[in-house]
Amino acid sequence: MEKFLQLTISGLSNGMVYALVALGFVIIYKASDVINFAQGELLLFGAYLAFAFIAQLGLHWTIGVLLTLLVAVLIGVIVERFVLRPLIGEPIISMIMVTIGLSSVLKGLVNAIWSPVPRRFPPFIPAVDVYIGPAVVSADRLVAIGIAALLLILFTLFFRYNREGIAMRAIADDQQAALSMGISVKRAFAIAWAIAAMTAAVGGIILANIVGVSGDISLLGLRVFPVVILGGLDSIPGAIIGGAFIGLLEAYTGGYIGHGLDLIVPFIVLMLVLMVRPYGLFGKEIIERV
Amino acid sequence: MECGVFFTNYKADMALRRKPIQKIRLGIFIAFVIIFPFFASPYWLNLANQIALATIGAIGLNILVGYTGQISLGQGAFMAVGAYGSGLLTARLGVPFWMSIPIAAFLAAAVGVLFGLPSLRLKGLYLAIATLAAQEIVEWVVVHWTSVTGGVEALVVPSPKLFGLRLNTDFRFYWIAVILAGLTALFTANLFRSRVGRAFIAIRDQDIAAEVIGVNVYWYKLLAFATSSFFVGLTGALTAHYRTIISWERFTLDTSILYLAMIIIGGLGTINGSFFGAAFMTLLPAFINNLGRSLQGSFPAMATMLPAFQQAIFGLVIILFLVIEPEGLAKLWRNIKDYFYVWPFSY
Amino acid sequence: MKRQLFVLFAILIVASLILAACPGKKAETGPIKIGAIFDFTGPTSDVGTPYGHGIQGYVEWLNSKGGINGRKIDLLYQDYAYKVPQAEQLYTQFVQEGVVAFMGWGTGDTEALRTKIAEDKIPFMSASYSHVLGDPKEAPYNFLVGTTYSDQFFIVMDWILEDWQAKGNSGKPKVAFMHHPSPFGLSPWEQGGKDYAAKLGVEAKAFEMPKGVTDFIPQLSQIRDFGAKYVVFQTVSSPAALALKNAKSLGMDDVTFVCLNWCADENLIRQGGDAAEGAIGAFPFTPPTMDVPGMKDAREFLKGKGTTLEEKGVHYIQAWWTMATMVEGIRKTLDAGKELNGENIKASLEALKDFDTGGVTVPITFTPTDHRGSKGMRLFKVEGGKWVQLTDFRYVK
Repeated sequence: MEKFLQLTISGLSNGMVYALVALGFVIIYKASDVINFAQGELLLFGAYLAFAFIAQLGLHWTIGVLLTLLVAVLIGVIVERFVLRPLIGEPIISMIMVTIGLSSVLKGLVNAIWSPVPRRFPPFIPAVDVYIGPAVVSADRLVAIGIAALLLILFTLFFRYNREGIAMRAIADDQQAALSMGISVKRAFAIAWAIAAMTAAVGGIILANIVGVSGDISLLGLRVFPVVILGGLDSIPGAIIGGAFIGLLEAYTGGYIGHGLDLIVPFIVLMLVLMVRPYGLFGKEIIERV
Repeated sequence: MECGVFFTNYKADMALRRKPIQKIRLGIFIAFVIIFPFFASPYWLNLANQIALATIGAIGLNILVGYTGQISLGQGAFMAVGAYGSGLLTARLGVPFWMSIPIAAFLAAAVGVLFGLPSLRLKGLYLAIATLAAQEIVEWVVVHWTSVTGGVEALVVPSPKLFGLRLNTDFRFYWIAVILAGLTALFTANLFRSRVGRAFIAIRDQDIAAEVIGVNVYWYKLLAFATSSFFVGLTGALTAHYRTIISWERFTLDTSILYLAMIIIGGLGTINGSFFGAAFMTLLPAFINNLGRSLQGSFPAMATMLPAFQQAIFGLVIILFLVIEPEGLAKLWRNIKDYFYVWPFSY
Repeated sequence: MKRQLFVLFAILIVASLILAACPGKKAETGPIKIGAIFDFTGPTSDVGTPYGHGIQGYVEWLNSKGGINGRKIDLLYQDYAYKVPQAEQLYTQFVQEGVVAFMGWGTGDTEALRTKIAEDKIPFMSASYSHVLGDPKEAPYNFLVGTTYSDQFFIVMDWILEDWQAKGNSGKPKVAFMHHPSPFGLSPWEQGGKDYAAKLGVEAKAFEMPKGVTDFIPQLSQIRDFGAKYVVFQTVSSPAALALKNAKSLGMDDVTFVCLNWCADENLIRQGGDAAEGAIGAFPFTPPTMDVPGMKDAREFLKGKGTTLEEKGVHYIQAWWTMATMVEGIRKTLDAGKELNGENIKASLEALKDFDTGGVTVPITFTPTDHRGSKGMRLFKVEGGKWVQLTDFRYVK
């Protein structure tokens, strides 16, 4: 029973970290219909940027975090302007490949500038062990959960009530109509990517606190796919629920079965779910017309 | 844009090479391919073999992605099936390689159909993720099914023996690789002249409309997966016999992405493109390496940085091609041809 | 116009690709060419970098002392970032350029090249200590300077039994084996480790450490349930450090953690912090915290470069002596007046007996039927944030 509780807490907290990463995906998809295979690398870049500012340049962590977020926004805007914009209208395979290319560029840059040596990141989020009953969870994960919850609320409100957010949903629904209504598609895309890059940076900073900086952070991008698909590509609450579900699934598989199955089982579950609900649990169904 | 070209029968109209200039170019190319191994160094033969094998795989992938429009991230898995299939048959059961390779390719095709099943329900992105799942699952199976695959140990595969002659040098293997690549290209070119090929293209362009006019979309999608996986599996099997030692690390997601990059940079939906892309992606790392080494003396700092940038350059090349010339090297080639075709009267 | 320019540009690129993909010319007599590949920017670059520097450092140092019998070493090297196809390409290239020996790095490339080097007759040393590589029937041209992973495991198991009894316990403890999800990770277990545990009557179980996770709590929970009192790690320092931290959170203070050579290094302490205290490490190569005569040359050389051996770490000296062993094989071939080719170097190496590394490793011995140069290692323990010697050289029984 104690083990079950431990695994549950552990799984949920991991799941929230996944959800945080998934949020970045969802925002980009919701606004611009693009799936960003480079989200893991954006995380990585964010983590290393924070490392550079805080550990290498010795800045105080608040300034370091702020600078990281600023640079992330900049990267998001640059990527959108020079990489995504020329590809508007191209088939989806090109979109996917260009984000894969982007992921290589980011990973390569991180390797070249910092080299993927795992480093100790001076954690500013206290890693005190918090005991929930007999189960232990590290405080930094609770912070992750808190931030994920906060962002969830923020973004839901953003897309529901904020002008830019509604504009994004309009564009995702029908670009032509939105354009004819005077909505600036370019600006909406730029904002979407900037937000997603910032979310990734936040995720990266949190991960850096939990596991330190290393090249492995980008692998999280891969693990997050089942979360995103499960929850539905354009559903923010879906990202959270998907994250929790996958986190728990991984924890239970790892704890009770092992054999390295904990990466595979989510994928298997994913495939089964997709067969039944091709657009994920909460995704919007795409209606095609000929 | 062909003026002055008149055909008097269907056969001439349907020919693969219709204009005399095309036939001449093809002839020169074939002549070059035949003469090449006699004066090339082992290093170049090695590269040529790699390109030939990659071409087979790229053509296979193009059938699925370029012609039928089904996104797949599972090529590494199909290659693994082909490689381990043929490798195990020859190494453990002593099956001669000219039997084991086709068997392995068919096995890969079967696995391809299995993982193509999601395509009946899913499209675009969701399909891509489903194939990603397939890739990871097969990888896990290869690593953990230790009794069959030897798990994480590398599998030693005996080099093929044809009429008693061991094909263990680059020179000897070249002929097999090139002939098979040529046959693959020929098969695919003919495939897309046929009914089946047209069905594939119809599915890519507008699958709902295709269904409406009577194309059995389910059947043809699975067929596309099967055909594509056959060739990808063939590449895997040949790689196993070429390298004589294989391990799962050769067939990971990175491999799948590499092949996708090949066909995108080369040109989706073209056979030329598959070849160009395969050649480009094989030569690029060699180029960067040599650039790095030649700089070692004069700019040592640059030299050590260059391999680090290799991954960034890989990604940058993909992005540049997609942004500047989305139709890839094949389109560039077509532009060059067209330019010379109407030169000097380009107006 | 823009299109035409771009076409021209594209042609230039393709042409330069083809031209530039040319390797250098074959070399003549004079300097001795040795090929090497390093991981400076890839997934194992944290340990690959000091290792690569160690190889380069040794060559530079040796050349400054006149080289081998007056002939300098021309090291042909390149960073391959642990990409196996790159390794193969570089190997083909270097062989064409006339190398007589090759220094590899990881399990991936060592395995991939295993059959090729036998055909090409190029002696090969690397930092992969997979047991099968020491068997001349399987890998005739591979030579291992470090203790194999399996041998390390056997020695550790023997020590565990001793330690268990020394603590006043009876019977046999349960042992968990946590490993990296790769051939490298499973190597000691699959190649004899599992059977050895069974032979000793020890209940042992393997637990895979998945990549890219944020903690190993599920795996450690399983281990706790299993009741293991000793955990042996076969992975690199980063995941091992994470696992140690998780174990501390879970309160597994009654468990002793043992790292095989790749997680037994300075990184483990740096990343694990307090959680690394009390961990045991397997050191086929002596770390710089324990000064032995064999480190003198490296220390001097590095001082001249403005750094210290402590900064470079154990993998530097590991590479130093691996290269030195290969050089010794070359030297013996030249001394015997034989032609400098792969076959003769192999023969010279196989005649190498008790090659003294000044205490960095046990004396290295190869035979025609056994290419495992070292069958012993020391154990160290983390005390006060440093690796402190725990035992002297212990050997496989």
